[in-house]
Amino acid sequence: MKKLLVLLAIIVSVGTTYGQEKSKESRFMVRGYGSASYISLDSADEHDSGSSFNMGTFAPIFLFKASDKLMFEAELEFEYEHGEFEIMLEYANLSYILNDYMTVRAGKFILPFGTFGERLHPSWINKLASMPLGFGHGAVSPSSGVGAEVRGAFDFKGSKINYALYATNGPKLKTDAHGAGMLEFGLTDDNNKNKAIGGRLGYLPFSDSSLELGFSFMNATVGDAHTDYEDTKANLFAYDLSYVKKINPLGGVIDIKAQYNQSTVDDRTYEIHDENDVPSDLVINDNKSTAYYAQLSYKPTMSNNDFIKNLEFVGRMSKVETPDASPETSDLESTTFGINYWLSWRSAIKVNYQLIDGIGGHGAVDDKVFTIQWVIGL
Amino acid sequence: MKAFKFIAIVGLIATVGISCSTERATAVQNKAGVQLWGENCVRCHNTPSPASFNDADWSTIEMHMKVRANLTATESQKIFEFIRSAN
Repeated sequence: MKKLLVLLAIIVSVGTTYGQEKSKESRFMVRGYGSASYISLDSADEHDSGSSFNMGTFAPIFLFKASDKLMFEAELEFEYEHGEFEIMLEYANLSYILNDYMTVRAGKFILPFGTFGERLHPSWINKLASMPLGFGHGAVSPSSGVGAEVRGAFDFKGSKINYALYATNGPKLKTDAHGAGMLEFGLTDDNNKNKAIGGRLGYLPFSDSSLELGFSFMNATVGDAHTDYEDTKANLFAYDLSYVKKINPLGGVIDIKAQYNQSTVDDRTYEIHDENDVPSDLVINDNKSTAYYAQLSYKPTMSNNDFIKNLEFVGRMSKVETPDASPETSDLESTTFGINYWLSWRSAIKVNYQLIDGIGGHGAVDDKVFTIQWVIGL
Repeated sequence: MKAFKFIAIVGLIATVGISCSTERATAVQNKAGVQLWGENCVRCHNTPSPASFNDADWSTIEMHMKVRANLTATESQKIFEFIRSAN
């Protein structure tokens, strides 16, 4: 109840302030990004092996600057994959700049849980064609949420601090035979009265902003109301690191990104039903899931050769691990190498080779994936 | 894991101690928009040319990036003043 009152106070405060301000400028923009790719998969399971062109994704972003302080933004994602066409609302929210140090957002927004989801996931920014393991939709990483948030940044004696603090409807605990014990993110409806509380604190110690260290957290009650699971709690946290620097002796820019996510859900016994609707108990204790990635890229920006100057070399390791007792148990590792050729500052051809091995939801995984992807920021 | 946490905390405190000073704060305040433009955009994506958009569009992008990338008010103001002046 207290959380709701605080949220209400913020919304009333913003509304009152905005009502007293005359609009000075109003602009509407449609931007976005899209991609198309060719994928060749060599899998341990021969049925999965093969190659195909993918229509990829198209994600228009709508920006409406209503005044110097008020903005609306939304992103849709159109995706056609494996014969299915999907439209998803990535986010749709209002931002109001309260002062130099604080902005309030409300609506559906990408959660500042680490930096990959919020800043790096668009295909024209993501340096590889794939996401790190565990960082896609419905994985170990919270994607988006519906709620309200305050965020901002300020200088601190030559370094810089940024922050975000939010309350959202929160994730939902899956209890069915396919996903018992796992969390579902990005829902628009609330499955209980509890609101998830989360945030991120970022610290940029150096005056050139080359290094950023971040810590994120989220706490929520995740079980459906009026069920045996309604008191189930989840605690999540993440560490992230970014280091981007032009290194003269190397003749270019190196970019290091890393993030570690951990999600812990209370111990529970789940009543699940098999395909013949026969019930059984599934005990999941020590329900901890983790995902991490570390990525290094190098762009020889100081080369005198225009072709070489536009190349980028990328390497990434990632790993995801979920509890052994979970129906979606996985213990997968991935190593990916990539070469990108930048056609412009926002358009590239990516050539990737990815190795994935370990235990997936349906058994052993030993995949080799070759991808060519064309991406464009619009 | 405890040793790792201890090292991380000590490292962070040392970094804060080394990086914070009045002289550095003054140097940061005196930075030009072109320098901040070069330092901040590249943290996530390639740096766009000022000619990529018109002034009105840059005004909208300024607000979008200030919120999304958590730029400080001073950074945002200086970067986009530079972009408009160079456009």
